[in-house]
Amino acid sequence: MFRLSRCGAGAVSFLTSLHRCPCLRSRGLGRVAFSSSARARRRDDFVKDLENEFVKFRQKVKEVLPGSDWSPLYQTPGLPPERADIVIVGGGVMGWSTAYWLKKKEAIREGVRVVVIERDPTYSRASTVLSVGGIRQQFSLSENIHLSMQSAHFLRNIQEHLNVVNEDPVDIQFNPSGYLFLAGKEESGILEENYRIQRDEGAAVILLTPQQLQRKFPWINTDGVVVASYGLENEGWFDPWLLLNAFRRKAISMGVYQCHGEVVGFEHSTRDMETDDGRSISLKRIHRAIVRMPNSAECQPVECALLVNAAGAWSGKVADMIGIGNGPEGTLEGTKLPVEPRKRYAYVFHCPNGPGLECPLCIDHKRTYFRREGLGGNYLGGRSPTEEEEPEHSDLEVDYTYFQEAVWPNLAHRVPAFESLKLKNAWAGYYDYNTFDQNAIIGTHPLVSNMFFATGFSGHGLQQSPAVGRAVAELILDGKFKTLDLGAFDFIRFYKGTKVLENNIV
Amino acid sequence: MLKILIPTIMLFFVSWLTPKKWLWTIITTHSLLIASLSLLWFKWNTDMGWDFLNQYLGIDPLSAPLLILTCWLLPLMILASQNHMYMEPIIRQRTYIMLLISLQTFLILAFSATEMIMFYVTFEATLIPTLIIITRWGNQTERLNAGTYFLFYTLMGSLPLLIALLIMQNNIGSLSMLIMQYSQLDLTTWADKFWWTACLTAFLVKMPLYGVHLWLPKAHVEAPIAGSMILAAILLKLGGYGMMRIIVMLNPLTKEMAYPFMILAIWGIIMTSSICLRQTDLKSMIAYSSVSHMGLVAGAILIQTPWSFAGAITLMIAHGLISSTLFCLANTNYERMHSRTLLLARGTQIILPLMATWWFLTNLANLALPPTINLMGELLIITSLFNWSNWTILLTGFGVLITASYSLYMFLMTQRGPTPQHLLSIYPTHTREHLLLNLHLIPTLLLILKPELIWGWTC
Repeated sequence: MFRLSRCGAGAVSFLTSLHRCPCLRSRGLGRVAFSSSARARRRDDFVKDLENEFVKFRQKVKEVLPGSDWSPLYQTPGLPPERADIVIVGGGVMGWSTAYWLKKKEAIREGVRVVVIERDPTYSRASTVLSVGGIRQQFSLSENIHLSMQSAHFLRNIQEHLNVVNEDPVDIQFNPSGYLFLAGKEESGILEENYRIQRDEGAAVILLTPQQLQRKFPWINTDGVVVASYGLENEGWFDPWLLLNAFRRKAISMGVYQCHGEVVGFEHSTRDMETDDGRSISLKRIHRAIVRMPNSAECQPVECALLVNAAGAWSGKVADMIGIGNGPEGTLEGTKLPVEPRKRYAYVFHCPNGPGLECPLCIDHKRTYFRREGLGGNYLGGRSPTEEEEPEHSDLEVDYTYFQEAVWPNLAHRVPAFESLKLKNAWAGYYDYNTFDQNAIIGTHPLVSNMFFATGFSGHGLQQSPAVGRAVAELILDGKFKTLDLGAFDFIRFYKGTKVLENNIV
Repeated sequence: MLKILIPTIMLFFVSWLTPKKWLWTIITTHSLLIASLSLLWFKWNTDMGWDFLNQYLGIDPLSAPLLILTCWLLPLMILASQNHMYMEPIIRQRTYIMLLISLQTFLILAFSATEMIMFYVTFEATLIPTLIIITRWGNQTERLNAGTYFLFYTLMGSLPLLIALLIMQNNIGSLSMLIMQYSQLDLTTWADKFWWTACLTAFLVKMPLYGVHLWLPKAHVEAPIAGSMILAAILLKLGGYGMMRIIVMLNPLTKEMAYPFMILAIWGIIMTSSICLRQTDLKSMIAYSSVSHMGLVAGAILIQTPWSFAGAITLMIAHGLISSTLFCLANTNYERMHSRTLLLARGTQIILPLMATWWFLTNLANLALPPTINLMGELLIITSLFNWSNWTILLTGFGVLITASYSLYMFLMTQRGPTPQHLLSIYPTHTREHLLLNLHLIPTLLLILKPELIWGWTC
C-alpha cells in the first residue's frame, strides 16, 4: 500500500473507480443486455459512484485546510519534548510525587520544565498500583518514622494539596485502622526497643499485653504472642492507584509534561579529575536521555539538566545505562546501584466470620500479614518470604501453592476464623528491593553529577512518597534537605559499607 | 571603505578553502584584523559631514560607531560559537561561518549606504542569513515559530517602506542621504500621513517598539549564541539607524504623529522591564531588557533634539555591547548545564569567581551605573524627554528603577544563593570565554574616556 498525497489520492481513486464502474466493465466483457431500465440503473450507479467520489475528495481537501492537524511533515504523536530541565525516569508514585513537589516549589510559573517518562501507561507491572497500600510509622529508623508521619499528614490533608479546580475531589479511601505488630519471645526485645524509638519521635503507638490484645481484638489467638504494638494514629491503608492518579492529575495541571516511552540510554560527557591523593577519577554528566517510543524503534533524545531515577524495580537497569557500577570491585566506580526487583504475592480471600470492621493490618512474628479489604468480609493477606523461599521475578505469575503451604496455616493459627476461608483472587507485584540494606536511596551519585535517586524503598515506598518527593524537590531546587534530613540514605553508604538497617522488615 | 569590504568578502572564500584544523583560528584572526582596521573609521577628517565617501558608500558620525561595532562583533561571534559548533560536520561549520560573514557584509553595506534604496535592499538581505541561523541551529522546536515571527513581522513592516521610498524617489528624484535633508517636502495631506507611517513602520518593528515587539523574545531565545549576539547588538540598531536617517525628511508631521508611538515606546519601557522580573528563562530576561532599552531609543529618536540623538546613538552602542555580553554570559551557563532556567543555575559565584566579576560588571552596566556609557546615553535621553514633556520623567524614572531591580535580580539569582549540588563539577571557565567577555567589556569601559566618538553629529 503506497501512500499518495491526500489530494492526489482522491482524484486517482476517483479514476480507478471509473474502471470499476459496472457499465464500463460490462462493456469490456461483452455482456450486453440492453433494456432501458437496466441502462437507467447502471447510470444511477454511475452517478452514485461519482457522488461518493466527490464526497471523499471534499473530505480529503477539508483535512488539508488549515484548522486540521495534517501536515506534510509527519510527526510521530507523543514524542517527548526535545529539551527539558528535569527528566524524571519512571511514572510511579515516586516520579509523580517528585514532579508535583518540583512544580509546587518553583517560585514562579513555568520555572522549571519537568518531563515524566513512563513506559507503561497501563501500569501493569508497576510496584505502585500492585502494592497493598499500607502506611505505618512503626519503623526503627527515625528517618523512616518521620517520612511516614509527614506523608500521613500530607494524605490527611490531601484535598488542599492535590485538589484541581473543577475536577472531582481527591479521595484515596484512607482506612485509618492502624498496624498491629505481634512479637514472640525472641522478637519482643526488638519490638519494645522500636516502640521506644517511635514514641520518642512522636508516633502514636502503644504496646499491648496478650490480655489487652485479646480484649481489644477478640478474634485473635494470642498463642505465642508476648507483646504487640498497635498504631493509633496516621496508620492504615489506602488505594495506591487513587493516590497515583491524584498526583498525576495535579502535576499535569501544574504543567508537568508526560511522555510514554522507555529510556534506553543516555548521552553523557566524561571529565577526568584527580582526587586529593592523586588517583584519577572520571565524572560523568548526563546531557541527553534517549527515549524510545512504545512499539517502535524510533528514539528521541531529550536534553536535560537533571535526571531523577525513580524507575522503581528497574532503577538498577537505568543506573547501568549510565555506567554506575562499571569498574573494579571495591572502588567507587564499581559500586552498583543495588536495586533489583523482588516478587511478592498478595492474596484476597473471603471469610464471613472473620475479624470484621475492627481489623488493623496485622503482622505476625512469622511475617505473615493480613488486612481487611472493603466492607464485605474480604481480606488481603500475604507473607514475606525468607531468602530460600524467594520467588524468581521474571514474570508476575502467582504461586498458589505458596498460599496453601506457607500463608494459610499461619493465618489460621493466628485467627481461628480463617480456618475456613475461600481464596478469591491473587496478584503479584515487585518490590524495588535494595539488596544492601532494604532502605531508601535518596540523593545524588558522587560520580554522575546530575542524576538523583529516589528508589530502593523495598516495600515501604508508597507510604513515604509524598515526603520523599518533597525531599528530592528540596535537594534539586534548594540545594539541600530542608524539612527532613535524609542524608543517611545517600548512595555513598554502599561504597563505605555502612548499612542503614531496619530492625523489623516486612 | 574598500579596505574593509573586500577583506570581508574574501573571508567567504577563506571559510571554504581553509583546512579543517585551522578554520576557526584563521577566521578569528582575520576578522580581528578587519576589526582593528575598521577603527580607522573613527578618524573623521570632516567635522560633521560624510567621510570615506565614494559614489555608493560613505561614513558619517552616526554610522561610524555602528560600523565599527559590527566589525568588532564578528570575531566575538566566531569565538562564542566555537564550542557548540565543535561537534558538527565540517561542511556545516563552514556554512555557519559563511552565513555569519554574509550577514556581516550586508550589515557593512547597510550602515555605509548613502542611498536609501541600497540601504533598504541590504536591510532586507540581512534577514535571510539570520533566519537560516535561527531555524537551523537553534536549540528547540520553537525555533521554527520564532523564525516565522521574525521573518513576517519584519517583512510586514518593511513592505510599506519600499513603497514609501519609491514614492519619494518619484517626487524628489533622488534618495541620496547626503541631500535628503535639503529637499523641502511639504507634508500636509492625509496621504502624507500614511507616507509618514510607511516610512517609519519598518524601523519601529525592527527596534522593536513595544506593541510590535513579540518577535524579539522568541528570536533571541531560540537563536544560537552568535544569532543572539548579532540580533541584540546590531540588527536592532539597524532599526534605530534607519529611523534616524529618514526622520529628517518627515517634518512637520512628526510633531503630532509621533505621539502614539511615543506613548507606546515609553510605556513599553515600564511594561517590558516589569515582565523581566517574572521571567524564568535567562535569555528571555535579557531579550525583554533589550526591548526596554530600545524603547528609550525609539522615544529619543522621535523627538529629534540634538541631545536626544546623541543619547540615542550612545545608548545604541552601549546597549549593543552590554546586551551581547549578557548573552555570552548566559551561553556559558547554558553550555555547562544545558538549561537556561534561572532556578537551576544559582550560586555560581563560589565555583566561578572570576566569571562572577564579569556578571557583576555587565549587570552594573545594564542598570546604567555611572560612569558607564549606558548611563550617559540614558541620561541624555531622559533629560531631553523631560524637556519635551515634563511628565515623561515619571515613566522613565520608574523604568530606570525597575531596570535596576531586574538587573540586580539577574545577578543575585545566578551568582548568589545556595549552590546546587549538580553544579559542583562543571567545567571551569575556558580562557576563550574570558577573552570573549573581556573583548566586550573593555571597549565598554574605555569608551567613557572619549565619548565624543559615539555622540554622533549633533553634539
